[in-house]
Amino acid sequence: MQKSLRLFVFATIMMFTAILPSKAESLQMGISVDQVPVSSSFDGAKIAIFGSIETKDQAALYRGEYDVVVRVEGAPEDVVIRKKERIGGIWINNQSENYEAVPSFYSILSARPLNLIANSIVLSPISLGINNLGKNIPVEGEKKLIMNPGEFSDALLRLRIEQDLFSEIPGTLKQLSPSLFRATLDIPANVPIGEHTVTAYLFRKGEILGTNRSSFTIEKIGFERWIYDLAHEHGILYGIMVVLIAIFTAWAANAIFRKS
Amino acid sequence: MSIYLPIAEMSVNIFILFGMGAAVGFLSGMFGVGGGFLMTPLLIFYNIPPAVAVATETNQIVASSFSGALAHFRKGTVDVKLGIMLLIGGLFGSTLGVYIFSSLRSAGQLDLIISILYVIFLGSIGTLMTIESLNAIRKSKKDDAPPKRKTSHDSFIHKLPFKVRFRKSKLYLSVIPVLVLGTLVGILAAIMGVGGGFIMVPAMIYLLRVPTNVVIGTSLFQIIFVTGYTTIIQSATNQTVDVVLALILMVGGVIGAQFGAAAGHKLKGEQLRALLGLLVLGVCIRLGYDLVATPVDFFNIIGSLDGGGH
Repeated sequence: MQKSLRLFVFATIMMFTAILPSKAESLQMGISVDQVPVSSSFDGAKIAIFGSIETKDQAALYRGEYDVVVRVEGAPEDVVIRKKERIGGIWINNQSENYEAVPSFYSILSARPLNLIANSIVLSPISLGINNLGKNIPVEGEKKLIMNPGEFSDALLRLRIEQDLFSEIPGTLKQLSPSLFRATLDIPANVPIGEHTVTAYLFRKGEILGTNRSSFTIEKIGFERWIYDLAHEHGILYGIMVVLIAIFTAWAANAIFRKS
Repeated sequence: MSIYLPIAEMSVNIFILFGMGAAVGFLSGMFGVGGGFLMTPLLIFYNIPPAVAVATETNQIVASSFSGALAHFRKGTVDVKLGIMLLIGGLFGSTLGVYIFSSLRSAGQLDLIISILYVIFLGSIGTLMTIESLNAIRKSKKDDAPPKRKTSHDSFIHKLPFKVRFRKSKLYLSVIPVLVLGTLVGILAAIMGVGGGFIMVPAMIYLLRVPTNVVIGTSLFQIIFVTGYTTIIQSATNQTVDVVLALILMVGGVIGAQFGAAAGHKLKGEQLRALLGLLVLGVCIRLGYDLVATPVDFFNIIGSLDGGGH
């Protein structure tokens, strides 16, 4: 629902930009790949997101008044955060908090720190920026990330940043010319598999003027894909296969070493 | 060289894992043990998620016990009937163990319980082994006469009903302790990722009084099936068996075991047992320390999309 709503809003904006060319400000965007393959040698990847700012106000463009911020988001997931406490001398997972619809991957690419581009009143409703995550107003019947402030949500963000799954690093987006930009996304080896959405926002004087959206997928390919699918869809068959591999390996080793 | 593990969903160094497999294989060849109780903690120290470490290691034990059992079959030192009885208990225990494993995992207490079990078992077995072998070394220095220990009174185990004759072991024994022992070891196999030989062998010798020559072969025989079965149901319920990881460990393990067996012949039995005892205590202390030491981070996070990891 939310997606179609956004599309509707986007379409409306596009329509108005077409009707009112004097105020037209829009953003074009492309990604260097549609798919990032994960094979046995996968150790992370780098992809480029590039695009252009389109505006009639060339003077403002040349003054560098526009800012582009790109957000890359993995599929939402449910998360449990547990806190260890000392019980009888041993550290045990005790209290916990659950969050739903947490992005499994979250990266903000921008030229300047976000707080210099817009304030959190603008950024929170669109979940732009790590510190603005989960600060939406709850909507009934909608699965949205709402984070209670406190040590658990702090730990969630901190741990995800430590794991390289969340990042917000100024300088990851560069203006190649007043209108052209290129952002570089570093994908860590532990990136979640699946579709990742890329949303770019165009800012001027702290306001959102345009947006554009695209996506790419991170997919296991070949052998890795086959193994993963087999293990998850036909667990028993997979189990029998790995046991047979074990027996064969042992038998082969026995035969080889008995000869020599 | 790094390799991506498709189930653990992480990139690891293939040479380090191969080396770990070879090192544990060497030790298991040298001491004639399965090595699961060393490998699983090592994998956990290497940051392989405990759930993957345990389930994958079970599969590696299929290989090492099969290779060991082959030799015993050739020598005819396997009591198949006793093995099957233990196995019946083992399959039941393993099913129960995988169920416990899944519930602990969803409660977020799996890692803790694995560590605690390891500390308890490695601690007590390591201590017993070290003391026993040090005593043996001291005695062998004093006089060469082997200590003959014969318990005159029959334990209550031999008074239990439902007795069955095990011809190969020359035993007339109740099936109750056999099934109970099999069940216990099956549970441990599933939760700890071990074959359970380190419990099975002493229990067979001291409690069931199985003759020493058939103990190892029979124990290995049933371990193949219990670990094989555990691997299959871990795969079906928890999807945490990583075949790539298992294969690296297996290949390292079988090669290491060949050299270990050769090295083992050069050392005396007591010395071997003392060394193994100390090694077991070392791993126990390391795991125990991690339980009581103030953690670097008090928080941990588990997402529903996280790899087989959690």
